Parts: sequence; C-alpha cells; structure tokens
Amino acid sequence: MSNNENKEFTTFKSTGYSAFCNGSHIAAVDVKDGKIIRIHPFRYDWKYSADQINPWKIEARGKVLEAPKKTSCGPMGISWKKSIYSPNRILYPIKRVDWDPNGERHPETRGISGYERISWDEALDIIESEIRRIVATYGSWAIYAQGDGHGETKMVHGPHGCMFKLLELLGGATIQIRNADSWEGWYWGTKHFWGGEPFGLMPNCSNLYTDVSKHSEMLLFEGCDPCTTTRGFCSGDQISRFCLFWRDIGINVIYICPDLNYGAAVFADKWIPILPNTDSALHLAIAYQWLINGTYDQEYLDTHSVGFDKFADYVLGKEDGVPKTPEWASPKCGVPTRLIKALAKEWARKRTSVVHGFGGPYIRGPYSHEVARIEGCVLGMQGLGKPGQHSLAINNRAVFGSEDHPVAPPTPCSIMHEPHQLNVRAAYTGYNPFPWLGLPKQCIPEPLIHDAILKGHFEIYGSSLQVTPACEQFIKYTYPAPGCSRIHMMWSDTPCLLTCWNDSNRTAEAFRHESIEFILVQHPRMENDCLFADIVLPVNTKFEEDDIGDDRESAAFDLVYLEDKCIEPLGESKSDYEIVCAVAERLGLLEEYTDGESIPQKIRKGFDQSGVPELGLCTWEEFREKGYYVVPTDPEWEKYLPGLYEFYLDPSKYPLETPSGLLEYESIGLKQYFPDDKERPPVPHWVESSEFHDERIGSERAKTYPLLVVSNHPRHRTHANMDDNDWFHEIITCKVRGDDGYLYEPMWLHPSEAEKRGIKDGDICTVFNERGGVLVGAKVWERIMPGVIYVDHGSRADYIVPGKLDRGGAINLITPHHTTSKNCAGMVCSGFLADVEKTDMDALRAKYPEVFNRPYNKDSGLVFERVIVKK
Amino acid sequence: MKKYGMIIDVAKCTGCNNCFLACKDENAGEAHEGYTAEQPIRFQNWIHVNEIERGTFPKVKLSCVPVTCSHCDNPRCMSQAKDGAVYKRPDGIVIIDPEKAKGQKEIVNTCPYRVIYWNEELQLPQKCDMCAHLLDKGYEVPRCVEMCPTGALLFGDLNDPESEISKVMAEQKPESRHPEYQLHERVLYLNNPKTFISGTVVYKDDDMCVSGATATLKRDGKVEQTYVTNAFGDFWFDGLDSKTDYEITIELDGYRTIEAKTRTYASVNMGDLFLEKA
Repeated sequence: MSNNENKEFTTFKSTGYSAFCNGSHIAAVDVKDGKIIRIHPFRYDWKYSADQINPWKIEARGKVLEAPKKTSCGPMGISWKKSIYSPNRILYPIKRVDWDPNGERHPETRGISGYERISWDEALDIIESEIRRIVATYGSWAIYAQGDGHGETKMVHGPHGCMFKLLELLGGATIQIRNADSWEGWYWGTKHFWGGEPFGLMPNCSNLYTDVSKHSEMLLFEGCDPCTTTRGFCSGDQISRFCLFWRDIGINVIYICPDLNYGAAVFADKWIPILPNTDSALHLAIAYQWLINGTYDQEYLDTHSVGFDKFADYVLGKEDGVPKTPEWASPKCGVPTRLIKALAKEWARKRTSVVHGFGGPYIRGPYSHEVARIEGCVLGMQGLGKPGQHSLAINNRAVFGSEDHPVAPPTPCSIMHEPHQLNVRAAYTGYNPFPWLGLPKQCIPEPLIHDAILKGHFEIYGSSLQVTPACEQFIKYTYPAPGCSRIHMMWSDTPCLLTCWNDSNRTAEAFRHESIEFILVQHPRMENDCLFADIVLPVNTKFEEDDIGDDRESAAFDLVYLEDKCIEPLGESKSDYEIVCAVAERLGLLEEYTDGESIPQKIRKGFDQSGVPELGLCTWEEFREKGYYVVPTDPEWEKYLPGLYEFYLDPSKYPLETPSGLLEYESIGLKQYFPDDKERPPVPHWVESSEFHDERIGSERAKTYPLLVVSNHPRHRTHANMDDNDWFHEIITCKVRGDDGYLYEPMWLHPSEAEKRGIKDGDICTVFNERGGVLVGAKVWERIMPGVIYVDHGSRADYIVPGKLDRGGAINLITPHHTTSKNCAGMVCSGFLADVEKTDMDALRAKYPEVFNRPYNKDSGLVFERVIVKK
Repeated sequence: MKKYGMIIDVAKCTGCNNCFLACKDENAGEAHEGYTAEQPIRFQNWIHVNEIERGTFPKVKLSCVPVTCSHCDNPRCMSQAKDGAVYKRPDGIVIIDPEKAKGQKEIVNTCPYRVIYWNEELQLPQKCDMCAHLLDKGYEVPRCVEMCPTGALLFGDLNDPESEISKVMAEQKPESRHPEYQLHERVLYLNNPKTFISGTVVYKDDDMCVSGATATLKRDGKVEQTYVTNAFGDFWFDGLDSKTDYEITIELDGYRTIEAKTRTYASVNMGDLFLEKA
C-alpha cells in the first residue's frame, strides 16, 4: 500500500501487546525517508472536532474526571525503535547444525547445538517435506501448533496462530489451548460462585469505574499494581489517571500485597503486606470476625445465596474443628492479628470494592480457585452489587453481552459496544481464540505440554479453553484423543514456554524428547524456545508491514486506524502471515489459505466489516485520508447499570449464571461432579497442601526452602517481549548490571533476609529449589516483605546447564510442575517455595567457560550471532 | 515573549519512566541541528526518574522523582562556559551549543544537580534542551511532558497568567530542591520527599489497634503537627526536616500518655507504641 522511500508522513500503530485481535496503546509514528523519527501519543481531536467524538466526563463528589485528550502509548510503545533494531533480531532462516531431517536428528542436543544460515528455499523445502512426511506417517494431528497471545497485536499479519488455518486445511492439528492464564482463580473458581461466563469475572462490568467513584468509601487493591500490570497491554497508563482521581476525591485506598508496588507507593493510604498466595487465610479470618460480631448482611444472604450456612460452619470451625480466627490466619499469611481485626472492622463499616489487575492472589498460585472463591464469599457477605461494592478488574474491558442484555465496558462506552462492538476482525488471519463453534479434536492445555511429551498421555477435566462455560469443566478429556497420534512436530510463533509457563525446566527436557522429530519456530528475536528449535524463521515487526487495527482497551475512546508500513523489512524477515502463505504455496493450498485475497483487500475488508461504515459513521475514503476514526461516546452511557446492581435489587428477575441463579457458597455443580475433591471442594476451603502442591511456609519443605516467591507481570516487559531493550536497561529497576557486565534479572529481598544469607544489594545470587536454579541480581530494600523473594516472569532464559541452571533470570524454569489443582488445568508460577544464596561466580566461570564467553551486547543483552556457528 | 517553566509534582509520579523513554526516542542517536548533538545510547539520561525510598518495613514510602535540567535563571554552566558555549534563550531555555562547547569538559562539573553529561566520543557536554527544536516548530510541550500519563510534569508559559502552570505556581508554591544553590530554577517541585516519623499505637491489654488517639509532634517544645491515629493505629508526620530532634506524644482519654523522642537521621519507623490504662 505504501512506498515510503523519500517521503515524510505520520501513520498509526497499536504498540501494545494486547492479545489476539484488539490493539492498544495507539501511537502516531513520524517517518521520514524510510526512517522512524519518533513514536508518540496523539490527540484524539487531532482530525476530529470535540462534537464528533463527544468526550465523556465522570462527575463524583464535587470533582470531574475528563476523558483523556491523548492516546496513551506507554513505555513499551515508545521504546519500539530499540526493539526493531535489536541485535537479537533474527535476520535470516537458520537450521540447527546437528539436526538432519534425512539422517540423525539429535533431539538430545537441542538447546546446546548451534545454527547455520540457510536460504528461504532450503527452509521451505525442509518444512514442506517434513509436514508431508509427518502427515503421511502419523496423521495431521501429530503436528502441534502453538500460537498464543501477547506477541505484537496485528490483524492481517496476526502473529498468533496464522498456521492454524493452514493446518485445518491439511486435516486438523493439535492445538495448544489458549487457557485462562492470568485469571485462573476466576475461571476455575468464581464461575462456580457467581457465574460470570465466560471468563468468570464478576458478571457485568458496566460503568464500574463511575460507580466506584461515586459510591465506594474504600478500595482494596489485592495484589494489584495499576502502574505496572497493565502498562504493556490493555488500558495501560490510563488507569493511573483513575487511581489519581480516586485519591483526589478521598476514597480510602488500601494495598494488600507482598511488595510495596508502584501503585501502593503513589496511591495507597495503607500498605498491608501479605505472604504470596495466602489471601484466602486473611479473607477467612475476616469472615470469622464478621460472623462472631454479626457485622455482615444476613438478609442479603437469605435472598441472594445458597449454602451460606455450610460456609459459616467451615469458617467457625464446626465442620473441621478449626475456627478460622485471626490467630489461625496470621502465621499462614503473615498479617498481624490486630491488623486483620482492624481491616475486618473497616470493611464492615465502609462501602468497599476490591480491585484486581493481572496479578495478585487469584491468579497463578496453587489452588487459585479457592483464593478467588473465598474472596467472592467475603464480598457476598457485605452485599455484592450494592452501590460501591464490587469486584473491579482494571486489567481489561472484557465484556460479553447478548442481544437481550447488552453490557457496556467499565469505563464510559462508545456508541459501538456489545452486541455491536467495533472490531476489524474480518482482516484477522490468526487463531481465533473464541471458537464458539467447538473445540478441535485434540488439544493440549499449555500447563500440560511437558506431561504430554514426556509421559505421552494425560487425563483432565475441562479443556481449559478460556471461553468455555463452567459445565465444560466436568467433561473428561484424554491425550492422545481417540483416533489421534501423539505429537511429533511442533510449530510455534509464540516461543516463550520457558519464561512464561510452569516448571519449564521440564519443558526444556520435553523439547529434547526423541518423540519430537521437528521443531519449527517463527519469531522476531532469537530467545527462549527458539534455542531448542530445528528451524527458526525470521519474523518482522509491525513497523515493517501494512495493517489495520482497532482499540477497545484504552479506557478512553474506541478507535480504528490504518497502520502503514514505516520501514522496509529487516534482513530477510517476513510477517507471520507471509511465512504461512509461503508454506501454503508449497503445499498447493495458497488460494484456499488466503481466500484469494491480497493484503490490501484484507485491510479493506477489515474496515468494511468493522461496523463503522455500516452505521454510516465514516467512509473508507475519509478513513484512508485521516488514518484513524474515533467512535464517539454514547450520549446515554450512564444508563448501563453497574456490576450486580440489578441482581442486588431483584435476584429472581436478574439471576446469575450459576445453577441456582444465586451466589453459591456451596457450589451445586462441584457438589454434583466433584463431591470429594479436597482441593476444590463444594464449599471453598483453605488448602494447606495436597497430592499436587506443597508450597506453604508451614510445610516440611519450607525447612529447606523457607522463602515464598512472588512473580508478577513484569514492569519493564510484556511477558517475554522487550527484554532486549537498551533503553529499559538504563532504568535502575529494570536489570541489575553484574560486575561482569551481564544484565541480571532483579530479585527483591528484604535486608533482614539478605543479611542472614550474606547477600548485599547488587550481588549475583541463585534462586533455587528442587527444580533447578536461576541467577538473579539482588535488589535489597525495604519495599518487600521478609520471607518473600520477588522476581518478575518473562526474562529471557540463558541456560548455563539446560534444564538445570539459568543465567537469564527466567524464574518460571523452577515453578511448580502441577496445575492449579488436580481437576483444574491452570498454570502455577507464583506463590511457591525456594531459597536464595549468593553465587560463586568465579567457580561458575571456571566450570562453564564456553557459556560465559558467548557473544553478548552489554546494552541490549543476548545477540543473534551467539547461536550462529556456520554462516 | 514566552517564559517557559516546568513544575514536577512528585505525588503524581508513578515512576513509569515514560518521560525518560520519550527523551530517548527523541534524542538518542538523533542530532537536532542548531540545538543538540545526538544523545548516546548509554549513560546520558537528560531526564531520569530517581526512586527515593524512605522508612523501614512496613512503614515504607517510595517516591519517584523525575530529575532534569532546571534551565536556571542563574545558570552556573553558562557563567563558567567559554566562548558563549552555553546560552539562555529569551524564552528561558538554556542550551549547550554543540559546536562551541566542544572539548569543554569542565562544563559538566559546573552543575550541582549533575544533569550535564560528557560525551566521550564527541568530546561534548550535553543536556536537556526542553525539546526546543520541537517548540520552535509549534509543539506545545516537550516530549517528556507529552508522554506523562498523570500530569506529574506540567509545562507552560509563566508569562501567561491564564496558563495552568502560572495558576499552580501562584496557588501551590512549588519549591526548588536546593534553594541554597541560588540558581533560580525554572523547573520546580511539589511534594518533594522529606523525612517522616511514623508508628502504630496499640492497646497493651488486648493488642488491638488504637484508632482515634491524638499524636502530637513537637520541636523544641513547640507543636508542629497533630495526627489522629487511623483505623490501623497508624500516625504519620511527613514533610519534616532531617537531622532534627522531635518529641512525640500519644494521648487518649483514660490511658497513660506516651512520650517519646527521636532524631531524624533518616525517616523514622517508631514501630508499635503500647497504650496502658491510666
């Protein structure tokens, strides 16, 4: 569409790592003579009048919060220049030197052996013949396709599963299920308490921001950092503006988390430190205080819930002989008893909402479903749905409505929302994460990939697909599925299992298993799982492509925009879509794969079917000329009632999606299907340990590994993305520069714990448990609770000994193996036991000189050339 | 004539570093002819965010403090540079001339705020120019301010009484971080972190938090601040002078008054203070 040599222009790019097909962090990009000059936010009213966009404002308690005037492109967005030109960019196709598709394949040297440059033709020859061979030998189900969220957000060039459609045309492949990672607790837990299909969040998030502003007296940020966890994707920095507003209008703000995070530092009236993944102990003790003092709403519970008496029996100790007193909870969660009692009193006295981001107690810990359900139970005791009393997820605007019951987002909505939501999905070529029409024949949930390969089989309940209803959690699945082969080839465009998933040292072992004959990866940067691939193909960034995008995540306005190509592709890179087109052509399926449409035609189709021209809002010609279109705010945005307000008013007329239509303190579904489940019993419980997990500070294991690890969404990356950005590395909290010049991932430790171990600020240390060790750089300071190690996930793995010891700080390598619980295939990668020690670097250097002599860029870190042994 | 200035409100800064990154995006590897030479990739942070941690667990406070050239009205870098290598524009922006300043390493050490950097490769002192090259082209604000999500950085024309910055200047009286330098900075601060004294008041008999006790802070016998303990028994006295002796009393009807003394070598976490029945 665009030829950008010798001209100056401004285009638009969604710079966030949002998800499958909705952009975020929209930036204007100034381009001159084929070079990107600057990436910056732009004013929504740049090419439209205020009348046309109808800016909203929220009025509460005598103050006004106006809609942002400009887009927020966030720290990740503005730093794109460095990532485009990262020395770790893969610039041409490469093949692992000791993998010979016609001879010895040497799976055992994956992760160790180097690579050689090959041409696109050679690469495509091998890929074509391998696909044909595997399909002929084992059937198409032996190909495993991994195309998950949170790479770049593209439409035509979608990096998430472009190969799925091609593999469908070949007869269907095994897909890696996109599961509820980051909201496991809601998905596996609160769905059985308050419904909230399909994600399990509190049903109906309409206008929650406004209602909280008007009515809440206290906000509990539970393991939530609004200044960190959303900044690479979703609503980003806009959330900081809401937090600032809530402070200004005098809402009491309390942060409950192991770390004094940035939100807590700026916005909190009180920080209550708590040990990782122990929030359910705190909540049970709060319920206990309310029960013995009568400071809860029994009348509400009489009409809005079932099974409360059973929950009360459990809390009071009538069920198991153990009253869940503050004295019981305090040693488990590390919150002093007097503070638990004071919080219980405040919560009962004030209209309170809890606030979550992508982080915190309900995600990623063992038994996260119990944490989420118990929090729901506690919220219910004060009357969930009353004005100002909600569970508010600030992480996204996930809205699902229906023709009968439209749902608006938590922020003021545009005139295009459910069920007529703006989207340009018609241009999208990647995997549809919302396959309402049914599941493929064979799937593997991400947390089970190592079991699938190493054990060759598994049995689970529930596919774990993020959008299936609660009743699907009672269906049994087996791997291999009847009539399907186990997997023998892996094709990934999202190669970050090592640094984003559970017990990934076992995943590294799985990559080297003899049953895996061919690993094909396409990716922009040579990192993580790429290092175990047999062929790696170079993918370009969105700045090297023409595309279109939409933004419904900004918490400001809905946008649709054209993304013009800014620079020529680097090296021999292609987009994910172009790569799959090239493979499709070899297989004689190009016409079917592309639907006979060119890229400009797909872009046009995306706009034509976005809803914008159908509603007569903007023509293609005007859109093409201006480059973006702002969907105006719905003049009646305030009419959508917030949260569970209607349910609160009349539960029989507005029932929940639970079997009883009410809040289920004893879950009818769980009681019917899993009456004897000790990890997720019908009435939610504190689970100390089980066959699957033993990760509490009261455990025997804690004598060997006495610290609990909290691992959040990273502040200076989005998952595994942008770990190679020089500019971030200049920020003091991003990396710890070791005395050897290497950029180590920070590990927060309290001075008292550091002193016990002889660790000083800046020391290179090893965090370890039975599952391996990970090198980190110590940040010794007061803003972390004693007893806790804090390491973000997503740092690039840089193995010293594959499967055992890592220099890159990829903490997920040593996370627990098992899923959330036996019947819940969620991921566990926070709230687990480990210890830390100062590392003898001289000994390591002497033992592994080849590792420490690999090429390394002291600004950006790992470099592409380090793996190339033959050019 | 415009008179540019900036006010940095530390209470609004979330430490996102967007300002720092915007400066990199604009200047790293990019020369702006007539204004600045290219900023190197490392070790030149024309605006950067300092993280100031105060107190001890769990009474900890963290402040994020963006630091940049203050574009002083009495700039030492200018008075000590040779050949007019540093000059002040009529709008107040202080600029290091990338031609004339070549080789003048001593300029780096003239700034007590340490925001002038030495470029070894170009043999050049360098610093923030408030994106003068963009302001001259019609940009309303420098890149760092454009990227700030919370309004912690406020930029504008101090000669325009209707500008937001003029109003904040008049109403909130932002301060220099170091008035003793007498530089007459154009970049001023609100809520710059100072030392605090904090503690928790607890009933000795039942170990519950004391809400509603009156905590009084005195200096040389004179009352400076009072604080009614909150629901968690906490009191906070912030904005204090460092290296100063303070007296604290805790009073509640029916209980013995607690009297304590402390010196603010740094922020003080007094821990738990137990109230006994009178």
